[in-house]
Amino acid sequence: MKQPALTRSVNLKILIVVIAAFCCSSAAYAHHSFALFDRGKLTTLNGTVREWKWANPHTWLTVVVRKANGADEEWALVGSSPNMMVRWGWNAADIKAGDKVMVDIHPARDGKTIGQLQTVFLPGGKVLADPAGQPGEALAGGPTNLPTKPQGELYK
Amino acid sequence: MARLLCGCVCSLVALILTAQPRDARAAPAPQSKEVQAQAWRAIASLPDLWQGTWQSVSPIADDFPTPPDYTPSALDYIKTYKPVEDSPFANCKPLGLPFLMNIGGMPMKFFQSPGMIALYVESSGMTRFIHTDGRQHSERPNPTYLGESIGHWEGDTLVVDSTGFAPDTLFQMGKLDPKTLAQGDPSPLSGVIFGQHGPNLRLVERMRLADFNTLEIQTTIYDDTVFKRPYSLPARKYIRGIDRRNEPQEWACTDNRDYFDQATGKVEYNVKDKAQSR
Repeated sequence: MKQPALTRSVNLKILIVVIAAFCCSSAAYAHHSFALFDRGKLTTLNGTVREWKWANPHTWLTVVVRKANGADEEWALVGSSPNMMVRWGWNAADIKAGDKVMVDIHPARDGKTIGQLQTVFLPGGKVLADPAGQPGEALAGGPTNLPTKPQGELYK
Repeated sequence: MARLLCGCVCSLVALILTAQPRDARAAPAPQSKEVQAQAWRAIASLPDLWQGTWQSVSPIADDFPTPPDYTPSALDYIKTYKPVEDSPFANCKPLGLPFLMNIGGMPMKFFQSPGMIALYVESSGMTRFIHTDGRQHSERPNPTYLGESIGHWEGDTLVVDSTGFAPDTLFQMGKLDPKTLAQGDPSPLSGVIFGQHGPNLRLVERMRLADFNTLEIQTTIYDDTVFKRPYSLPARKYIRGIDRRNEPQEWACTDNRDYFDQATGKVEYNVKDKAQSR
């Protein structure tokens, strides 16, 4: 039996994108590369939005963070699909370039300036949580117990 | 005389040949208003799969609690199989059946009309067409990602029989022994054995409401290139959602293949050449 093409492609160690969240096991995880991001770690970025890309299969939030030494650093943050985010109260127009945001992310394991979105705190006080990895009941039912302030370790 | 006879026979043969397709596959005629109204009334008394949408609450991977009786070639394949390290859904490629039904991030919705049930599966943006007009399978169904589906009701259970699958639909043929896997592997796909199904793969899905808010779909896989005997999977569960948030949405996924460049740490969008080569 031949190894199917799909399986071959995943053997390439590059960021593979996926279409949907894997719901439902108690250890439910996001639909992104499992190896790339540290789900056990939460980091808070304080920065300015450079781009907000609202498209399938993933949204991408690009944020520029000014570090303690004055240097600007660009972070690429991957989010769920718009379809799932809409069901959790997101709107494409919620975020725009220039917005000052605080973002809780699961950072890359290897220290690259990329991450997986967890929660976005907008200047007006609106809080948007990414439904990635949530069980089916929560995907269908919407978010509960949203944090009011960032929960991660502030990145400097 | 011989020529005349030949001519007659030829005409007769020609008549039979031209007439046959019409007999075997009668051209569909529009139904009368009365017949159609009756068909709609019959639909009204069927179990209510129709309100709202259905969100999977089962794990993405199927469990194979009873060890399948594999064919020798399947056993050989499994012996050297290396589990995927990541999700096999790159590039928004159509997954097809059976795994299409396992992707749980987004809901699915049933629609019905006389002679057909349609099932929109948002996570793939595809619609399954399940013929309920009493037809038989085509002799040579063309291979497709969703196959050719024929449904009928057995009491309150919708039984859907599908065949005619493209060779590259995503197919889970089993699960590796958890003891062989790395400890604490967070991936819901850890241990899943993906493989190639045979050309005669056939699926029989039994869909029924366990209660108003719970749909169960139990699938039996017929594929003698993989399983010596048909394999019955445990039922998958879906919950009903009737809020606005649960309504179906479009799923357009071919234009934003994102590509993350490991070397530069930059994301690029719409990078079709790189996306395809991965």
